[in-house]
Amino acid sequence: MEAQYIMGVFDEEQSMLSAFRRMKEEEVEIEDVFMPYPVHEVLENHGKKSKITIVGWFYGLFATLGVLAFLVYTAVIDWPLNYGGKPSNAFPSFLVVTIILTIFSITILSLFTFSWRANLWPSNQKPIFHERATDDKFVILVKKDKVDVLKASSLMKETGASEIIEK
Amino acid sequence: MYNTEVRGPLILGNKVLDQITRDITSPLYARPKFWWVVGLGISSIMMLLGFWAIFTTVSQGIGTWGVNNTVGWGWAIINFVWWIGIGHAGTAFSIFLLILRQEWRSSINRAAEAMTVVAVGCAAIFPALHMGRIWDAFYIFPYPNTRGPLWVNYNSPLFWDFIAISAYLLISASFWYLGMIPDFATIRDNTKSKIKKAVYGFFAMGWRGSIGEWKRYEGLSYILGGIAAVLVVSVHSIVSTDFAVAVEPGWHTTIFPPYFVVGAIFSGFAMVMTLMIILRKIYKLEDYVTNAHLDKVAKILIFISLIMGTAYSTEIFLAWYSGNEYEIFTFFHNRITGEFTVQFWCMFTFNALVPQLMWFRKIRSNMLIVFIISILINVGMWFERFNIVVTSLTKDYLPSAWATYSPTFVEIAMYLGTLGIFVFGVLLFFKYIPMIAISEVKAVNKYQVPSTQSSVKKGNGRR
Repeated sequence: MEAQYIMGVFDEEQSMLSAFRRMKEEEVEIEDVFMPYPVHEVLENHGKKSKITIVGWFYGLFATLGVLAFLVYTAVIDWPLNYGGKPSNAFPSFLVVTIILTIFSITILSLFTFSWRANLWPSNQKPIFHERATDDKFVILVKKDKVDVLKASSLMKETGASEIIEK
Repeated sequence: MYNTEVRGPLILGNKVLDQITRDITSPLYARPKFWWVVGLGISSIMMLLGFWAIFTTVSQGIGTWGVNNTVGWGWAIINFVWWIGIGHAGTAFSIFLLILRQEWRSSINRAAEAMTVVAVGCAAIFPALHMGRIWDAFYIFPYPNTRGPLWVNYNSPLFWDFIAISAYLLISASFWYLGMIPDFATIRDNTKSKIKKAVYGFFAMGWRGSIGEWKRYEGLSYILGGIAAVLVVSVHSIVSTDFAVAVEPGWHTTIFPPYFVVGAIFSGFAMVMTLMIILRKIYKLEDYVTNAHLDKVAKILIFISLIMGTAYSTEIFLAWYSGNEYEIFTFFHNRITGEFTVQFWCMFTFNALVPQLMWFRKIRSNMLIVFIISILINVGMWFERFNIVVTSLTKDYLPSAWATYSPTFVEIAMYLGTLGIFVFGVLLFFKYIPMIAISEVKAVNKYQVPSTQSSVKKGNGRR
């Protein structure tokens, strides 16, 4: 099969970053960057922001309302019980359960959201472009039919890529 | 998790990234050492003893324990609270220090979280068994049932406890696992063994370190961190309300929630200290878990120890100041003097006085003494729970109802069993999981002094 991608392999964060900046300046479209640890300049300047924290907040909101509604339904509407003459709609003591179950729901829901959006689940096999990208190399990936191949590879060479691989 | 500036070098020895990977993953590839196998054997025997105790308890009932009508809570609850306390370390380390942007956490958090998950697992055994009829444990779930439907009592701290522990186990385990995903991918891409590639590849979930993955990974870390910080405070507050809502002398006080939370973090940090001293010595990770790291933990321990001392003094003062004769009796004639003097003074000395020795730099930098102090703290914390549970219950309002308590062999065996589970779990962690968060350590590595392959060399400075 003919190679679809070109990747520039960088030994250091700084050289990868300068390549990243140059490519942004000259509008060479970057498909993805693989890093052994997150480099924030890349995360912030490439593509859309992740909305997972906002989504998490809404999970919390819905979970709070849901849990409170459940507690009121079961303890007040469906089967009120007399515990030592205390009111069945004991709102302050519902708060503890609400907080904990909200945390519980946010955890589970945002884990699943993460798994779905970041495309990660057990035994998932995604194509690995460079084996050392999880060890000590920084890899910039560009798609051949989206960019000027010569320009992209010369840019990466100039900024200090240790190798350019077609894949 | 990674977006922070730090002051000095956190990792010694001018490491390049590849070397970090090799240093941390080398125990995974090495053959198990003799001491490891022996440790696994001993902890397995302890676990078997524990399983025997559990079997005896389930098949014959709570009558095999030393508890009686007066002292209804014995070793089971003492050990439950003790384990939960130890289990607060991981969250304290990962979450509070994550939110406070303390980068020095990155060498320690993985081990602390591993410890948390095992310790909370150990803790959960006790409340489940102390119910007596464990096969009816599902009654505590609020579900539509044929008994009414009779829903559970949401006003009861025991129910709060159940959901708090479940939520805590879930969230600490998922936080721990989330942190391991990039490291599993590192192992998957580095190992030569086919089995390791398949197993770690399965758990790495297809991680490649791409932009999209890192973005959401950090987002999720902050979500879990933010909510777990609330949880860690509320879990032990809830445990304390198990006591504080009861009208028992010595229990019925509002100081209990903060007192328990601080105590829990105290014992957790002490256990982290114990474990890290062992771990860095055995696996020669002194470059990652440096003396500076342990120095910081020691300073935190001094500070928390002062809070513990203040809490003990406040309790004693208020018992006297309230003028309540039952409180005065419990504190002055049943704890400070009287039947449980030894337990009280062990608690007070080990928790409030001994850690103060670490004000001296000489003592703080002597790892043997620090190691002994960290173990004494956990002994002291065990005695604290003994004090709270047993001294209050044995002698409350009616002298005719007074009774004494001593554990039976079954209770002791069950405690030894959980210690076995803990050691077993920690040993498996040493062997099969990278003990230090590789990707996080790599991210803070660039802050060291100029080295051959660091970014600082090129004059770009710190990012």
